[in-house]
Amino acid sequence: MIAQLLLTAMLFAILLYATMTYRQAPIIGLLSVAAAFGGLYFVWVPSHATRLAELVGIGRGVDLILYIWVGISLIMLLNLHLKLRSQLELITLLARKIAIADAVRSLRLDPEGTRDMC
Amino acid sequence: MEVPLHDVWVLMAAYNEAAVIAGVVADARAIGYRVVVVDDGSQDGTGALAAGAGALVIRHPINLGQGAALQTALDFSLAEGAQFIVTFDADGQHRGSDIAGLIDALVRHRADFALGSRFLGRPTSVPPSRRLLLRVATWFTRATTGLAITDSHNGLRAMTRRGAGCIHLRQNRMAHASEILHQIADSGLKYVETPVTIHYNAYSLAKGQSLIDALLILLDLFARRLHR
Repeated sequence: MIAQLLLTAMLFAILLYATMTYRQAPIIGLLSVAAAFGGLYFVWVPSHATRLAELVGIGRGVDLILYIWVGISLIMLLNLHLKLRSQLELITLLARKIAIADAVRSLRLDPEGTRDMC
Repeated sequence: MEVPLHDVWVLMAAYNEAAVIAGVVADARAIGYRVVVVDDGSQDGTGALAAGAGALVIRHPINLGQGAALQTALDFSLAEGAQFIVTFDADGQHRGSDIAGLIDALVRHRADFALGSRFLGRPTSVPPSRRLLLRVATWFTRATTGLAITDSHNGLRAMTRRGAGCIHLRQNRMAHASEILHQIADSGLKYVETPVTIHYNAYSLAKGQSLIDALLILLDLFARRLHR
């Protein structure tokens, strides 16, 4: 029972995370929601988990829940990667603005424009 | 219609290309084109060498990648009033003499993009492994963009001001070459392919892409589609 409650709390946290993620990365949000609901269902109906586990060739229902958890972790890792990409896009825009502003300033000072605009 | 040479802006993204950049810039400058080099955070004096050879140099404060550098060059040249824009590799693979053919193709066909192809016209000795990789990449690009092209990863291309305004690269690294083609397809503007010559040497081959790079490009393109 304690494990079930702990897992439920963690899966609810995933649901919250999925809701926050949905706006930025809808696919990740939907995958997280699906995985979290699947996890919740199997945590509270373990007999179905065992039956499904046997059906797909996994030993026990507990193992299936573990696999779902691994799946959720991978989805979160992917989302982390996407967030890093978004941050890099912002850094790129900032660096580009600085580089172009410097270049334009140098060009105005030196209309010949054939010198390093560092 | 004769295009004045100073209306043609040749854009190069360069990262640690000190060994070749001066010669590459001088080749294009000798013809009379304006040359813009984005020094993408080089640490070997690439920017100074390019400037010495007559390029207008924009310096990224940090290394961001070839795609990011090209977009910086596009934004800058459009803001400065460029009418015709050519993207040109900084590693010495391309020849300035091919640019006239690209610009001529834009004007003659009233197109907005002229894409260089090493597989049209005069045959070039493409290394077999590179040829195979390019074939697969070209097949993939044709299937995903609908563009009838023969060379999907050729950095030598020309575009009109209108065409360049449709390019907004968000792939900072090598995947930008595919991203450009997707954006050309999405723009609905006319494109043509033009024969160009690629000169392979030990330097350019070492800088070229491997099979692993190609797989990373696919991953990059896929990841880009997962978020806004």
